[in-house]
Amino acid sequence: MNRRDVLSLAVSAGAATKMLPSSVRAANQQDSSELRIVDTNASLFQWPFRRLPLDDVEVLVEKYRSLGIKQAWAGTFEGVLHRDVASANRRLTDACLKYAELVPIGSVNPELPGWEEDLRRCHEEHSMPGIRLHANYHGYTLDDPRFAKLLKLATAAGLFVQIAATIEDNRTQHPQLQVPDVDLAPLADVVRQVSGARVQVLNFRPRGAAFEQLAKTTHVMFDTARVDGTDGIPKLVESLPAGRVLFGTHAPFLIPEAALIRVHESDRLDDAALRAVYATNADTMFWKNGV
Amino acid sequence: MTSALRPGLPSPEQLKSYRIWDSYFTPAYSHPGADGSSTLVADIERAMPAVRKGEFEKLCYFPHVGIGTTTDADFEKLARSRSDITLNVMERWPKLLLGMIQLNANDVPASLDALNRWLRDGPMIGVYFRGGGVGSLTCTHPNFHPLIERIAELRGVIMQHTWFVTGGKQSPGASTPSELAEVAAKFPEQKFVCAHAGGEWQRGIRAVQNSPNILIETSGFDASAGFIEMAVRELGAERIVFGSHLPSRSLGTELSKVIAANITEADKRLILGENFRKLIQRPIG
Repeated sequence: MNRRDVLSLAVSAGAATKMLPSSVRAANQQDSSELRIVDTNASLFQWPFRRLPLDDVEVLVEKYRSLGIKQAWAGTFEGVLHRDVASANRRLTDACLKYAELVPIGSVNPELPGWEEDLRRCHEEHSMPGIRLHANYHGYTLDDPRFAKLLKLATAAGLFVQIAATIEDNRTQHPQLQVPDVDLAPLADVVRQVSGARVQVLNFRPRGAAFEQLAKTTHVMFDTARVDGTDGIPKLVESLPAGRVLFGTHAPFLIPEAALIRVHESDRLDDAALRAVYATNADTMFWKNGV
Repeated sequence: MTSALRPGLPSPEQLKSYRIWDSYFTPAYSHPGADGSSTLVADIERAMPAVRKGEFEKLCYFPHVGIGTTTDADFEKLARSRSDITLNVMERWPKLLLGMIQLNANDVPASLDALNRWLRDGPMIGVYFRGGGVGSLTCTHPNFHPLIERIAELRGVIMQHTWFVTGGKQSPGASTPSELAEVAAKFPEQKFVCAHAGGEWQRGIRAVQNSPNILIETSGFDASAGFIEMAVRELGAERIVFGSHLPSRSLGTELSKVIAANITEADKRLILGENFRKLIQRPIG
């Protein structure tokens, strides 16, 4: 990263506010008795390996409305395998502009030449608050210097970075495209070197040494999409400092009701803790950098 | 303090109307505790908030009865000699719990004895065959034949753990839906339940499609969208039974597969309880 890169992105940080969807602008105007729900882990368009009941954007938004989900941070399945990432992010933005609930989260693949331009467009042209990475599908590890550079540039621009640890259980993946989960072991060290970085790990089953390291790393958040077990989410909440667990569905790949129910089913979280997971923590992460 | 917030769930009245019978309840699945019940009871208690929220009527779990389905020799001896330990757990929740004993097809004589003790004499309604680890054996092995014949005589339910793991089996004792279809073809009058629909359910559903005496069970994998819709389309709702896999999995993951599916309410009632009730041909407490 050179000085020009940083300045170019940093100067335009904050320019996004005027283009944010109304669901974001309304976040601070909610009736306090109403349960606000923010899905931090949605994706638009078609999963390459099968059709999903909610893979039509309009149908997905209707489902969100029926479930009371007010806002969804939407990545694009096209960002997983497409190499014309710029057009994928453009289609994502165009789709999100039609629905107040949808916030576009662009894809960036640092394996591709010119990825810095994709990052710039996510921020400056599409007014995205964050980006989503698929390191396993894109073929790099988190100790790759390009990942560190990307995180610095994104942070300088005021963007948060989501890392999808996996998309599909590797036991059920297509036999000709088996992709192991992202190795998160290097992530804590990289994040500690980037002041102000906001990172969210998606679709992660929290366990092992990597989780213990990440738990100690401020500004690394987790979503709930694949945290299973009847009391898995309360246990995750209790194992971390406040504010680190954000509601995520991984819809339309997973059924959104599944994630909604898992948060409350064990009766271990009180009203305030539930509201924090369903929305407040997401709102905090979204606004932390003054976007 | 417990919150009244319950997004994603239908109303309690709606859930009650489904009359949910859970065919795959897995408290202390691998070991019930050194004393025969402490871990099991703790795990059942752990599942209770979700069981109450789901308005479940019945839960069917898989007791170990001392025929080599754990690695703990002391527990195995205890379970063989003290049937009251298993009975006490069932009597603690008499209106809620059903049982299908874990059989060990590697030990046919002991399994036949267990069938007499626990099915013929009650109160169990069927058997469960593991999909890996101690006590497991691939279901195409000839050892299964005398066991299935006896289970059929006793009108028991057979639940066989199955998975299609991309890249191949993870355990030598594992079974796939295709292998279960082979066995089921030899016993056309006996019903079999293909637990987890093979995990990779697109293959699993196809593997059992032409085996009318096989039903699929719904738990054991992520809440991947479209599963129930495909299963109803290809098998019919009459060949699907609900399982919760609680508490190691969750009410949200497992119940949502059915309640959120784009199928009729009548089909949801079949899957969530009617089919399992019809499958049970032994008296229940």
